[in-house]
Amino acid sequence: MTNFTVLDTKTHKNTRVMTGRGAKFGENIHLVPVIAAELNKLMLEYPVCLIKDNETGQFGLSALLGFEVGENLFLNEDQWEANYIPLHIRRQPFMVAVNSPAGAKPTPENTVITINMDNARVQEAEGELIFDDKGNTTPYMNEVNNQLATLVNGMIQTEAFIKTLSEYDLIEAVQLTVSFNHEDKRFDGIYTINEEKLKKSSPEVLTDLHQKGYLQACYLLMASIGHVQKLITLKRKYLTQNKNN
Amino acid sequence: MTKHIKNIVIVGGGTAGWVTAGILASTLKKEVDSGFSITLIESPDIPIVGVGEGTWPTMRNTLKNMGIRETDFIKECNVSFKQGAKFSQWVRGSKDDFYYHPLVLPQGYDSINLAKHWVNHNGGQSFSNAVCFQEAICELGLAPKQMITAEYAAVANYAYHLDAGVFSEFLKKHCTKTLGVNYVSANVVKVNSASNGDISSLNTSLNTELLGDLFIDCTGFKSLLLGEHFNVPFVSCSDTLFADRALAVQVPYENENSPIVSHTLSTAQSAGWIWDIGLSTRRGVGHVYSSRYISDDQAHQELLNYLKRSSVEAENLSFRKIAFNPGHREKFWEKNCVAIGLSAGFLEPLEASALLLVEISAQMIADKFPTNRTTMDIAAKRFNNTFSYRWERIIDFLKLHYCLNKRTDSQFWVDHRNPNTISDHLKEQLLLWQYQVPSDTDFEQLLEIFPAASYQYILYGMGFITEPNPLGISAQSQQVAADHFQQVVTQKKEHTSTLKTNRELLNKIYQYGLQRV
Repeated sequence: MTNFTVLDTKTHKNTRVMTGRGAKFGENIHLVPVIAAELNKLMLEYPVCLIKDNETGQFGLSALLGFEVGENLFLNEDQWEANYIPLHIRRQPFMVAVNSPAGAKPTPENTVITINMDNARVQEAEGELIFDDKGNTTPYMNEVNNQLATLVNGMIQTEAFIKTLSEYDLIEAVQLTVSFNHEDKRFDGIYTINEEKLKKSSPEVLTDLHQKGYLQACYLLMASIGHVQKLITLKRKYLTQNKNN
Repeated sequence: MTKHIKNIVIVGGGTAGWVTAGILASTLKKEVDSGFSITLIESPDIPIVGVGEGTWPTMRNTLKNMGIRETDFIKECNVSFKQGAKFSQWVRGSKDDFYYHPLVLPQGYDSINLAKHWVNHNGGQSFSNAVCFQEAICELGLAPKQMITAEYAAVANYAYHLDAGVFSEFLKKHCTKTLGVNYVSANVVKVNSASNGDISSLNTSLNTELLGDLFIDCTGFKSLLLGEHFNVPFVSCSDTLFADRALAVQVPYENENSPIVSHTLSTAQSAGWIWDIGLSTRRGVGHVYSSRYISDDQAHQELLNYLKRSSVEAENLSFRKIAFNPGHREKFWEKNCVAIGLSAGFLEPLEASALLLVEISAQMIADKFPTNRTTMDIAAKRFNNTFSYRWERIIDFLKLHYCLNKRTDSQFWVDHRNPNTISDHLKEQLLLWQYQVPSDTDFEQLLEIFPAASYQYILYGMGFITEPNPLGISAQSQQVAADHFQQVVTQKKEHTSTLKTNRELLNKIYQYGLQRV
């Protein structure tokens, strides 16, 4: 359920946010949207890939957490077993809303911070306060503010990055077939950068990618796909444990 | 030393000319290093016929190989998706009489011939509905792909409905800007011969001379080079296919949210049939008929009646009449000249074979491109053999749509059943198919234009009876077939719940574009 309300010192005076991890907070998801600026941290833990939006067909950047809907292999009860957790997860239950016609770029002037009052984290009994007695944002909320700002700018930059990849025709589908319990399963809809095409790009294209800072992002993205192997191992471990239980 | 083939001259710039230029230029560019040229000369005075508004699924590969983005093509040529044809009133002429010829092959076509099982036991379900999911999605007006489907890829096999006039301009831009095709806007005033009878050059209305090693005649019904210059005889097939007139009209949609039908509607009339195709911007409707059976006025009236039934106000529409003689040239490649498009021949719009022939003719020239004048004679001989066979098979396949009718309401339909109007080859096939279902082994060539599956859709759609095998079908084979029939049911359920309507998908493509991968 979602019920986004604009953050307000009076309305949310006593509102608290539980900051723990777990499926009870809706973290049992197999894909999480990420931004290119996170790639250097993400690539140490997660396979990051390009995924199409069902409605628009447009590519977005996502970290892969599992193989099917509802499966987050990094989640173990209330532990998220990784050294880095994507911003999109950490900023919950807050969101930036753009108070402008569709398509307008978010700026400090046209954006507001909203909170999803139906989110399981939100209540008044335990967790972090958003505002202190004087109505100032708490250190916790300041941190969230920073995360939101990073995300908003990062999403614009990520969109531009993907647009460039698409224009230079560097994106390719990943052929992924994995065997679980002796049954081959094919996973479609995962895309990454075609390494051969990138290598063979003209000097002009490579210079352009380099100057925009995209070349490094390309290599981080390609390298991260190797973590699919880690996901397979995690899933097999999980399946074995379940069998034994 | 024998002369190398380097300079290609294409005469005529309709869809045939530009599709040919695009296929040749893109294929040669990939294959050879350099040193060839392709020049297209187009008359500024002669309008294109531009009736061919339906394509085959082959067009997807043709455009992809030319390096065209499907998104650009869809947006710029008012394209919509075509998933086959729905034939109404072709069998008995009654209102509820219809069948589909979908573009998706029968389920498991590579490994099993489901027709065998269907003729044995079908529980009253139509052939097309039993063996394939496409009719179900067409009936709901759903698109053959999703936004996440890559350009040119499909959920359900599809072709296009397009605006032929705009398509020519679109290809012209791509050919001249990206593929290096030279363009001359002028009339051909004289054809010059070499001593061996080849065409050596063309004089143009700009007082220039256009030299070439290979000339491609895309001059439409005029057939300027093959017909007029080389006098290659025309073989009429009006004894078999009776249609010789078309009356075409462009019909606006009621409003911008009107559904766009995802297949060609083909509705039989008293002496022909009406096509109705949905583009993204308008409908293209036309009556193709035989002037031996009805007058132009009657044909016009039947078209008006059809339009009235879909509540179109026809008063302000402009109708265009096209007369043609169904048939083809005796051969298509003579000396150093090949005819592609209407200049080679035209049968009628049924099954959209015209544009397909352009594609496969140009592709064969590109694939077997002669390096010199000696090998050109071999290429010509093989081209002529292949295409004589192909024209015969297309004539047979079109005739099949007519000769299986059971109508008694007009002489046109009665005469189409007359055995004297059916080729011996088709008669033999029909005899065979009374006792065994069509299979790809019933045909001689590896690359048949219409596979046995197409014949199955038409035959069983029209109520043709094949006797079940008197020896029965093994339990094992029945089990395999049952699994395939079940898969069709599953696919219908899945696709009808996930696919959007044609209109919705096209709107999204306009807004976001499809991805290349």
